[in-house]
Amino acid sequence: MRLNLVLELLDIPGQLTDAFEPISRLGANIVTVIHQRDVKTERGTVPVQITIEGDKDTLDMVIDTLESQNIQIMEVDGVLRKEKIRTIFIGNIVEKDVKDALGRLNNIEGVRVIDFNLKIGDDPEKSASKIILEADSGKRKDIMVKIKEIGKSKGFLVINEV
Amino acid sequence: MKICILGFGAVGKGVVKAISLKNDRFKEKYGLNLKVVAVTDTSGAAISNKGLDLDLLLETKEQTGKVSNYPEYGVSGMSNMQVLDNAEYDCLVEVTPTDICNGEPTRTHILNAFEDKKDVVTSNKGPLALNFKELNESAVVNNVQFKFEASVGGAMPIINFAHETLSSCDIDSILGILNGTTNYILSRMAKEGSSYEQILKESQELGIAETNPAQDVEGIDAACKTVILANSLLGRDVSYKDVEVTGISKITPESISLAKNEGYLIKLIGEVSGDVLEVSPRLVREGSPFAVDGTLNVATLKTDLAEDVTVVGKGAGPLETASAILSDIISIYKIKQCNR
Repeated sequence: MRLNLVLELLDIPGQLTDAFEPISRLGANIVTVIHQRDVKTERGTVPVQITIEGDKDTLDMVIDTLESQNIQIMEVDGVLRKEKIRTIFIGNIVEKDVKDALGRLNNIEGVRVIDFNLKIGDDPEKSASKIILEADSGKRKDIMVKIKEIGKSKGFLVINEV
Repeated sequence: MKICILGFGAVGKGVVKAISLKNDRFKEKYGLNLKVVAVTDTSGAAISNKGLDLDLLLETKEQTGKVSNYPEYGVSGMSNMQVLDNAEYDCLVEVTPTDICNGEPTRTHILNAFEDKKDVVTSNKGPLALNFKELNESAVVNNVQFKFEASVGGAMPIINFAHETLSSCDIDSILGILNGTTNYILSRMAKEGSSYEQILKESQELGIAETNPAQDVEGIDAACKTVILANSLLGRDVSYKDVEVTGISKITPESISLAKNEGYLIKLIGEVSGDVLEVSPRLVREGSPFAVDGTLNVATLKTDLAEDVTVVGKGAGPLETASAILSDIISIYKIKQCNR
């Protein structure tokens, strides 16, 4: 069987070879690779489309191994593995230790903070931060509840996505 | 059909104006002749079982500020309850100001009308958000019609739309922008980058926000509407106190600008879904159905068969709200015709 993957690699040398290594080691074949270094995501990573071929067990093992090596698989056969969740916190971001909040968000299972923006208001209470999380697909609702809990525990006004 | 109107503020006047504009058309289209037999305000009432002259009624209120100055049939100091006891009417239109603490005196007016076997149409959110079950049960026991389309979303069709047009579907959840004033403020903040305080002040000068804006900006009005939708469309038994409410007064230009960089807007959203019953500022994608500007209201109903259905319409305004009230009256009239 064949599997279409979209990987998201850091734009540094050696990333593509690292991604290929487990594929060949486990005995799957690479059918196509589309790699355009100039086309980047908004946070500077490079999406790579790969089609691999092999029996089901081998392909499952490839996916597990890639993930265990922290290689981001964004899509498998057109189905998103990861989705982005955006949130905004309003309040005294610096004094209330937003770093701790980010750490706690990062500790939610299957969640990774991938972007953080801060705007300090004239009144520090009116500062705002935008946080983008990447999470395993299908967990959005539970994660949004956790985001709210963490933000509220810091006294922030939490603005989640609809 | 004889109508008794309690409350002669913006909505009450809108109803009288709309009847005056459309009554001939209603006769022609439905064979329905609406007669307003009583109108009250804080000064008293105008009451005539033969029917009041609608233009004279509006003129009297406009010029003197009191309906009790209506020539010949004006009665100074007559209470709403006295009017209900004395007027010969078929349908009560209850449009007195909303009280969110105990829903009174509207609750009593409506129950009184039900016990007299009269149908009731209201736009008043207070009693619907606090005493929905009691009112609904009384309407059933007394075998009368109880309609309140105008209480949510002004002219935006939602309650009757869900009950009648989507009658084959079960509704799983509702998400919506249910308050025009806050949507106006947030839209302008997003467009101009100005502060909340500045836009609120301008909205008050334009008459879009009230002098005491708390009901709107603190999310109270949207929360009442969320409760009405939860009870009437999702079969919940909840009250205003069950809603987790966050308003928009803490929204800053900084937060709006961060959202915009991501292609998002901040809107005050009411949500009924699963175990969620809340009103809070949320991020909505630009270009999505929720990205409506100005005083518009919008709601998306998630249904089992039809999936997502979204409605949009003017959330406030005298004639817009009157349109929903009159549609309720017409549908009551049609039900009565069928039952004959």
